Amino acid sequence: MLKVNDLGYWYDRQENSLFEHVTLNFEAGTSYAIVGQSGSGKTTFLSLLAGLDKPRAGQIEMNGESINKIGLTNYRKSHVAIVFQSYNLLTYMSPLNNLMTAMAITDSAHRGDKRYAMEMLRKLGLSDEQMTKNVQRLSGGQQQRVAIARTMVCDAKLVVADEPTGNLDEENTRDVIELFQKIAHEQHKCVIIVTHEPDVAATCDHAYRLAQHKFSLEA
Amino acid sequence: MNFFKRAWLNLTAKKGRSILLILVTSAIMLFVLAGLLIRNAADTATSNAKKSVGATVTLSANREAAFKKMHSSTSTSKSSRPKLTTSPVKLSDAKKIAKLSNVASYNATVSTSANAKGFDAISTSTSSNTGGGMKGGMGASSSGSGDIAIAGVTSTSSVTSFESKSSKIMKGRGITASDEGTNNVVIESELAKEDSLNVGDTIKMKATTGTKKTYTLKIVGVYKASSSTSTEQGPGATDPSNSVYTSYTFANAIKGSKYKNTADSVTFTISDPAKVSKVKTAGNQLISTSKYSLSTDDSSYQTVKASMNNVKSFADKIVWLVAIAGTIILALIVILMIRERRYEIGVLLSLGESRWKIVAQFFAEMVMVLVVSVVLAGFGGKFVGNQLGQQLVLQQTTTATTSSSSGTTGQPGGSGAPGGSTGSKPSGNMQGGPGSSHTGSVAASQKQTDLDINVTVMDLVELGGFGLAIMFLSIMLASGGILRLQPKKVLID
Repeated sequence: MLKVNDLGYWYDRQENSLFEHVTLNFEAGTSYAIVGQSGSGKTTFLSLLAGLDKPRAGQIEMNGESINKIGLTNYRKSHVAIVFQSYNLLTYMSPLNNLMTAMAITDSAHRGDKRYAMEMLRKLGLSDEQMTKNVQRLSGGQQQRVAIARTMVCDAKLVVADEPTGNLDEENTRDVIELFQKIAHEQHKCVIIVTHEPDVAATCDHAYRLAQHKFSLEA
Repeated sequence: MNFFKRAWLNLTAKKGRSILLILVTSAIMLFVLAGLLIRNAADTATSNAKKSVGATVTLSANREAAFKKMHSSTSTSKSSRPKLTTSPVKLSDAKKIAKLSNVASYNATVSTSANAKGFDAISTSTSSNTGGGMKGGMGASSSGSGDIAIAGVTSTSSVTSFESKSSKIMKGRGITASDEGTNNVVIESELAKEDSLNVGDTIKMKATTGTKKTYTLKIVGVYKASSSTSTEQGPGATDPSNSVYTSYTFANAIKGSKYKNTADSVTFTISDPAKVSKVKTAGNQLISTSKYSLSTDDSSYQTVKASMNNVKSFADKIVWLVAIAGTIILALIVILMIRERRYEIGVLLSLGESRWKIVAQFFAEMVMVLVVSVVLAGFGGKFVGNQLGQQLVLQQTTTATTSSSSGTTGQPGGSGAPGGSTGSKPSGNMQGGPGSSHTGSVAASQKQTDLDINVTVMDLVELGGFGLAIMFLSIMLASGGILRLQPKKVLID
């Protein structure tokens, strides 16, 4: 589904590249973990997969079409859903309105379907009262669930998550990881999680390690 | 959920910020509205002035030509001193001019004097012979004219002193066109009081020239002249209270039979002051310009127009200055707002929202703020506009009065007959009297420059248009931040 061809990225000079000549394939219905030390470039790699930045070399293809050709805005709108460590919700809205906004922007098949959004939030453990109050009044775990619910209501086949459990306690981490696995296996989506936690990486179907500018598949 | 709903949610969620935005925008809109209201009121006042202040064209003897003729005869015959000979205006000529388009009405003026018979004229004496003081009767005896100044007019209502309310009918009525051929008279209230005269009484006057016949006049009205007019009399003038108004036909009869169907001057009121010169040009083709001249007086209109143009120009400056300052202030606020909301913009961009829709959301928010601000400004605009407008008018009128009065003080009067004509040039034997034309025009301009400031729906629509333009420019100036923003930098870096 998602193909990375000869990808390279550097900030100022090519000699200091974060990674070069990266070629990887990501399939639907599969979860992937990308692990590596801090500063190794795994988040930058994820931002390229999410269409938040352009690679310096190589290209990324979604279903055989270059994402540059699709257009990064269109790509983000129709093909990818992103979960961040700091949740990145619209703070002046309720969880429900966050989902409704995402559904409207991404042209989801369920666009405008309030009941569907509520059902998703209920599935992720939010009460009816919680889903209508401001998101900032929810706990970190609850906010991350809202962020995950947001990816679920969108029709994107690719879900990328940057340290999604970084701000969560053990119990919430377990729940969130479980949710990602469900998204991959039950909704048949491709889930790519950047993490530095071995436990999280262990739950994914495949794990790639980024070290010394190269990706390697972990056993 | 479209950007409109997002805008609404943002405004309602951040109430404190929204209220501050509304207050800032209301203040800007308030001053824009005040400027618009003053400008519109000045426009209305100018167009009203066109209708009500009017302008005049006066037909009178051509004194310049008469003087030239006198000088040329001086050089040819040295035996006797030549006299200045002016021709009285023929009413037939006046009627031709009255038929021209844009001439609304005309007023014939004949000035003369007669001696009171059976009643006493008011005599004045002053200890000082400087300034505006005068000695009643003295002027009359020295010049050989009577002690009662007669102003023959077509209608007193067309006399400037009555138009400007410096003279008022206190009892009875004024002279009208229907008084032609009658001996009806309107006398001054002080004269009436001193001689215990009232409306319906009769008085007698003896002509000082011609047949020196005695005439019986019926008092149809009593008028009161403002006391200030006496200060404008010059040496040799009789007391203003000795000035009476009659029909011009009676004044002609006093002067003698050769003055029948003539007038010292005829003043035409022009319906549209802008057409004064057109009427003058057309009128000059109907008269003998070697004998008569047409002079124009649209000073009242020009005074109001100049005053209102100044107010309008200042109001325009207020509108534009506030609009520019408002745009800059709002642009800075929006820039700060965008910086504060970079994270939100990053989230929306990461979801795939287009940049122009994010700009549109900010614009929609500002428009919502604008709607509330326009309503608030609508309530306060009338008050601010009134205060500011009256201050401006006061300033403008004071300037106009100062410049006008500096040109009128200290002018010598004639022998005491009421002037009051709107004509700017005196006719051959025109005599000063109550009410000068210039004073009248200034008074009229003061009256006309009152601004009637009201907030109408159109004003609010115009304000809304200005507000939208300000908001649009502010958002455009500030949207560079949105257009350049990279979501990765906000959300990941």
